[in-house]
This record gives sequence, C-alpha cells and structure tokens, in this order.
Amino acid sequence: MAEKKEPMVKPGVCIPWEEKLKELPEITGDEQLFRRVWEDNDALAYIYIWHCLLSF
Amino acid sequence: MVLQSAPHPTFSEPACGRDLSDCIVEARGGMVYHNFLKKVSCYWDFGDIKVDFYKGQVKMAGEKEQLYGERLKRYVTAMRNEKPDMIPIRPFVAEFAAKYAGYTCQEVTHDYEKAFCAARKCASDFDWDAVVGNMVYVWTGLTQAIGLKYYGVPGIDVPADSGFQYREPPEEEAFMKPDEYDQLIEDPTGFLFNVWLPRVSVEVSAMGEATTYRNNLSFLKGGMAMLKYFSSFGKQNELLRCESGTVSAISGILKAPFDILGDKLRGYIGLTMDLFERPEKVLAACEALMPHLAHVALSGADPERQVPITIWMHRGCVPFVSREHFDKFYWPTLKPIIEEILAAGHQVLFYAEGDWNAHLKSFAELPAGSIIYHVDKGDIFEVHKTIGHKFCISGGISNFLLSYGTAAEVREWCKKVIDGVARDGGYIMDASAIIQNDAKIENIRAMTEFTREYGVY
Repeated sequence: MAEKKEPMVKPGVCIPWEEKLKELPEITGDEQLFRRVWEDNDALAYIYIWHCLLSF
Repeated sequence: MVLQSAPHPTFSEPACGRDLSDCIVEARGGMVYHNFLKKVSCYWDFGDIKVDFYKGQVKMAGEKEQLYGERLKRYVTAMRNEKPDMIPIRPFVAEFAAKYAGYTCQEVTHDYEKAFCAARKCASDFDWDAVVGNMVYVWTGLTQAIGLKYYGVPGIDVPADSGFQYREPPEEEAFMKPDEYDQLIEDPTGFLFNVWLPRVSVEVSAMGEATTYRNNLSFLKGGMAMLKYFSSFGKQNELLRCESGTVSAISGILKAPFDILGDKLRGYIGLTMDLFERPEKVLAACEALMPHLAHVALSGADPERQVPITIWMHRGCVPFVSREHFDKFYWPTLKPIIEEILAAGHQVLFYAEGDWNAHLKSFAELPAGSIIYHVDKGDIFEVHKTIGHKFCISGGISNFLLSYGTAAEVREWCKKVIDGVARDGGYIMDASAIIQNDAKIENIRAMTEFTREYGVY
C-alpha cells in the first residue's frame, strides 16, 4: 500500500507564507494576522486549480 | 397589500435562502399586510415556518422540517447499512430534471439557477428522500469563463437538448506529455497552474509567453464565477429543505489518483501505455496526487458528518486495465485516501461507474459501514452477496430500462432488486447511472411509487 509522501508544497498551499515573508520588510505588527489572511486567500487559489482539475 | 419587499433592515437578511418577506408570503399563502409586520415582537409562528425577528432567521418547525428529519434519518440509517423505516429514494437526476421541468439541456447546463430550479421541482413533485442540488453539475458559464476546451457544450458543440460531453484529446495532444511526470511529481499544484491550465484553456497563456488581456480575465472571471457557483449550493440546499423537506445527498468530491491521470492528464491511451513504458513514474505520480486529493475531498465534506463524500470511479477497473494494474496502481493509491477520510469521521459513496465487480474483494478490506457502494453495470446481486454484509448498496435500476422499458417492467425489476438486496436494510433506491433526459417520466414515477409501496420495512 502506498504511503502518502510529504509534498514539497503542502496541500492547500500555492505560495507558502514562509516564502512570502522573505519579501516583506520587518513586520512590526501582528505577524500571525498577516499569516492567517495570506494563507486564507492562498487557499482559495489552491481550491480554484484543484477544482478545475477535479470538478470541471 | 401584498408584501413585496423587506420593510425593515432586520428582514433583509437571507433566510432559508431568500428574503424573509418571501418566506412570509409563502407561509401565509400569498397574502400578508404591512400593518401585521408592524406588530412584530420577537417571534412568530406560521405553522410550517417559525420566524425569529431578532435574529432575522426562519426556523422550520412544522411539516416540512419533520419530513426533513424523517428523510435524513432514513437516508443516514440506510447508509450505515442498517434498516430504516422504509427504503430511501435518492435518484441522481441530471438532465432528466431539465426534461421534467421543461428546460433544454443548454438551459440547465449554462444557467445553473434553472438547473437548481429543476432539481427542486423534481424533489418537490416526486416523493424523494435525497437529491443532489445540481446533478448536471457542470456550469458551462464557468467553464467558458476559464476557457476550458474539453467540453462539448449544448447549443454550441452538441445539440441544445443533448447533455454536455467531455472531449478527450488524441494521444499525441494529451494535456500532459509522457516526459513531464517528474514535474508533476515534484509539485502537482505548480504543474497544474503552469503547465496543465494553459493547455486545457483557450484563454490562459503558457509560461514564458506574453500575457494577454484574455489571460488575465480568465483568472478573474473564473475565480469569481467559481466562488459564486459554489456559494449558491448553500442556498439551494436550504431551499430543498424548506420547500420539500429534501436532504442534500452528498458533499465533497474525490477521484482516484489513477483516474485523474487518465481523465485529465495523460488520457486513457497514454496512461495505459505508460503502465508498460514507465510504470514507476505512474506510481510516483499517483502517490504525489494522494495528499492533494484527500485534502480537497475533506475541504468539501459535510461538517455534520451525515452525508458522504463521493468518489466518481471511472477507468481503473477491469477491463480498462488488468487486475494486476488495479492491484498495483489504482487501489494502493486510493485506499489510504479513503482511510484518511474515514479517520476524519466521513463516509464515502463509491459511485462505481461501469462494472467494478472484479474488485469487490479489495473494497471489502475497508471497515464495515465505511462506504456506500453504488452499482452501475455490475451484477447487484453478486455485489450484495460479496459486500452487502459490510456496506450499504445503492442503484442497480437499469438506465436502459428507465429509457426504453415500460412502467410495468420497471416495477418488476425494482421488486427483484428489493427482494434480492434490500431485505435487511442497507439499500438506497436509485438508477444505475446518472439519469439523463432519455429516461421516461412515467418510468421514474414507477420506480418511485413502487419503492414507496413495496419498500416499507
């Protein structure tokens, strides 16, 4: 039985927050807020392409 | 004075998928007065519908809600392979709904509100326990916005009253080339965006090409349209519940990694050649797809864990592939996904399109009650004998019979299936395959009425 291998980019992610973070100047405010919103929007792009493949 | 619009901000909140005022008009049989609304305190009871004015919500409490509760219990009990009060009826009506409601295939494929309306009309007129909000499913307005070129669209590529078609490209024009497995394996999501989408869309520019206005619009229009379409299912499900007490039958989509390779990437011929020429790449690609397919399936699952995620099974069975290939590629890369979904507390509906009876013993490896097995071309009596002790079974009513047989023949076949498969519960009445516009209305009615008469425990 095949085992699920750890993918290079995790499911639900197109551009990881860690990658985006490198592009930003030092965050003086709440980093977790930036991260959460980035990941929420990034997940929409992920859903878009995978539903293009699976559903349409 | 008939109330036509919401007179107060509280009333403008959507409730049961529509303006509160609409629900009041319906609940009162069409007439309601402004001065009545001015007397609003905090709660009002209209029999079938209770209105909570503080929260701006409609609460179903009467006949329809009771019906919904009974149907949900019946459906869920059967899916757990137990015996409900009667056999639940859950027809997957697609273009049949258009025919019944008086629409063309073009109308329900290109205007999803008409498809929703047709599904609700069927649910309301027939005595069905559960339906899919839109079993036509594909909205060609969305696929056109993205520019997808593998659809045969009713009214453009096929006659307006024919169902939409999938067009598989010839082997040499497959959407993924045989030497691109490593790219897919390394980063499936990146591959889909950067390589696959430009090939399947007439609008999207390939990487390295100059971008275009049409390229940019494809993502914007496609994304907005998909959000709009998916969001509309919530309202549709509420309307099914409010209007006819009907359960939304499924939630969440899954396909096997092997089927995805065949359907959308390499094509059937290309994939079967790859099984001999680069089998290790095929297996690695299936493994790379596994976590993503599990993630997408769970992201659309029913949070209440009542209705199942559906896997649409296509070409991974004998004779499309050999038993050895099924055992080596299809099942080992699907079973762990199913197990992950089960671990999260969801059932899976195996919509086994074609004949998968050669593989029943593999499916029997799964825990009892974990799946619902839908029978299309397979021998339903053999299915019952082999896995009926573990899993609920659905379907098995021949689409050919529903299209070309008589109502008497449909009743006779339904009796045979109920007698052979449903005696101890664990059976859901449905056609073998998705019901399209070739099915006779009187035969669908015969299937429904006979099941209600004969299918009581």
